[in-house]
Amino acid sequence: MFNKILIVNRGEIAHRIIKACRELNIVSAALYSEADREALHVRRADESYLIGPSPAKDSYLNKEKILVLAKEINADAIHPGYGFLSENADFIKMVEDSGITFIGPSSDSARIMGEKLSARRLMGKNDVPIVPGTTESVRDAGEGMKIAAEIGYPVMLKAASGGGGKGMRKVLSPDLFEISYDRARGESAKAFGNDEVYIEKLIIKPKHIEVQILGDKYGNYLHLFERECSVQRRHQKVVEEAPSISIDGNTRRKLTDAAINAAKSCSYYNAGTVEFLVDRSMKYYFLEMNTRLQVEHPVTEMITGIDIVKEQIRIAAGEKLSVRQDQVSIRGHSIECRIYAEDVDNNFAPSTGKITHHRLTSGPGIRIDRGIDLMSEVPVYYDPMLAKVITWGSDREEAIARMKRALAEYQISGVITNIPVFNWIFKQKKFLDGTFDIEFLDTEFLPLVPRKWKEIASEEFEIVAALAGALIKTGEGEAKLKRTSVPASNQWRNLNYE
Amino acid sequence: MNELIVNVNGRKRNVLIKEKGKVEIEGKLYSISMTKIGLTSYLLRYGNRVYEIAARRDNANQFEFLIEGNYFDVTVNTPAQEATNNLMSQESLSAGISSVRVPMPGLIIKLKKKPGDPVSAGEPVLLLEAMKMENEIRSPASGVIKEIFFNEGDPVEKDSIILSIE
Repeated sequence: MFNKILIVNRGEIAHRIIKACRELNIVSAALYSEADREALHVRRADESYLIGPSPAKDSYLNKEKILVLAKEINADAIHPGYGFLSENADFIKMVEDSGITFIGPSSDSARIMGEKLSARRLMGKNDVPIVPGTTESVRDAGEGMKIAAEIGYPVMLKAASGGGGKGMRKVLSPDLFEISYDRARGESAKAFGNDEVYIEKLIIKPKHIEVQILGDKYGNYLHLFERECSVQRRHQKVVEEAPSISIDGNTRRKLTDAAINAAKSCSYYNAGTVEFLVDRSMKYYFLEMNTRLQVEHPVTEMITGIDIVKEQIRIAAGEKLSVRQDQVSIRGHSIECRIYAEDVDNNFAPSTGKITHHRLTSGPGIRIDRGIDLMSEVPVYYDPMLAKVITWGSDREEAIARMKRALAEYQISGVITNIPVFNWIFKQKKFLDGTFDIEFLDTEFLPLVPRKWKEIASEEFEIVAALAGALIKTGEGEAKLKRTSVPASNQWRNLNYE
Repeated sequence: MNELIVNVNGRKRNVLIKEKGKVEIEGKLYSISMTKIGLTSYLLRYGNRVYEIAARRDNANQFEFLIEGNYFDVTVNTPAQEATNNLMSQESLSAGISSVRVPMPGLIIKLKKKPGDPVSAGEPVLLLEAMKMENEIRSPASGVIKEIFFNEGDPVEKDSIILSIE
């Protein structure tokens, strides 16, 4: 087993990995940018090192500096988390060449799956169904229009080296093709340094269902069932759950088989996720494989009891999978809400600043994976996800009830959060009965932004605010305090926030 | 009996505290109870629901509340205080120079104008990277760029004034 792991990430996922290291008695080393000097992951790690200036390209993405640091501090492995360098095949190759172990797949697996077209070709060869479309990039708009006409509109333009919704354009009709093509190329070039795009048929109102797999270095594979991540805003996941309530046992078997096939086809080891689109008739299509830990991995951990991060570390250290497929089963239901510092009514702008109040929630079935605590700064440079609230229940209804309770108790102030959005989602019939698809938020929620989506709830909360204001001013609440009060000078009480 | 005018996020309501646990808002009677459960938190019960409130008191009359992720600016005045405030409030208008503000925090990736350049209303003047996307910020007015306060590559806060137009 490793002695020291360098965690090349920040925020909640760095914090999550630190916890896994601690349980395995491995020294955790964090790195941080100037903007993150006081960040939670820096304080929680066993060791931490300044890596560079605030912009990600000078710090969390600076491959050379990171490797020099890893050697200097005698780290024997690097955990990349998600995002940043986690799927960067060049970085993985550099780590491999340096003799340090990368906690992830081989650079070859990452490269083939990271290049969407080579992944599509590989899946085609291995009987994993792909979305109809090209397996080569489109040379120019003219060729693209010819292909689109053959496949039939609407089509989707996607970045060959894409991910996370960037460089993706829906094209509804031929007259919009050229402009969408140029935009998709421009965005791809900017985001990935590669302007190649390809065409896929647009699957109408599908669900996004993905399968978590684990593979070791000895060719053993297992799946940890599926997650449903159809609640998305412009291809960014907002709520995830496991298992999916939309698929039956037969579809589940087909999806999980296909996922393992996908992993085998690139000799994959590490934890990985194979994403599918599933249409109304339960036809499924390979979307992409994420060769890393996913943001939403906790919901799978909750229903299977398997610690995916620790499995990743063990696999990287050369251990065999610790469980067999027949020992894994689904227990109960789990939901995750991604808490972002964003101002929904101001075009979802990130809300940066200092966390001036942070009271956690707890109780049965609740887990918080967070990157913040009281007085944390939310810098402008990075993704503004603050925390993930994950709940478990014996069934979906209980998981949702616990989530509602958790979100009513969890208080974060200093920045604006998207917590009210979840209250809206959990009131929607489509969410509750499982008929939602990946267009659910875009077609039902976005037209109500700004403010309309809040109107009903706001009236209720405004009355509560008015009542509370009146009572506090007249001293009503204070009178009762005498029974429960603790002197303000009792400093340890502030530590309750932790 | 205690009469108050409560302003919640800009909307005023008349609140009557009648007796213990009975409050009337705009003619509707509420049975409530409230307990302070921490230095800055309260538990308020009404109807069949319980609300947890994080509260910050700015001064004797002003509060900020956080209720299930929603912020509320609350001002509580007596009728006498309210009358005084009304007399004092006079808006003044300014004119002449317009400015370009950014609606969200981000990084300035491109400034398309320099001081002295003419600009027309609706014309893009800068590219702001926020939420991993490029956003075009347009000029609200026509005129000539007077001054630019930031450089390309600078991070900016929400509502920062980037340039002025005369």
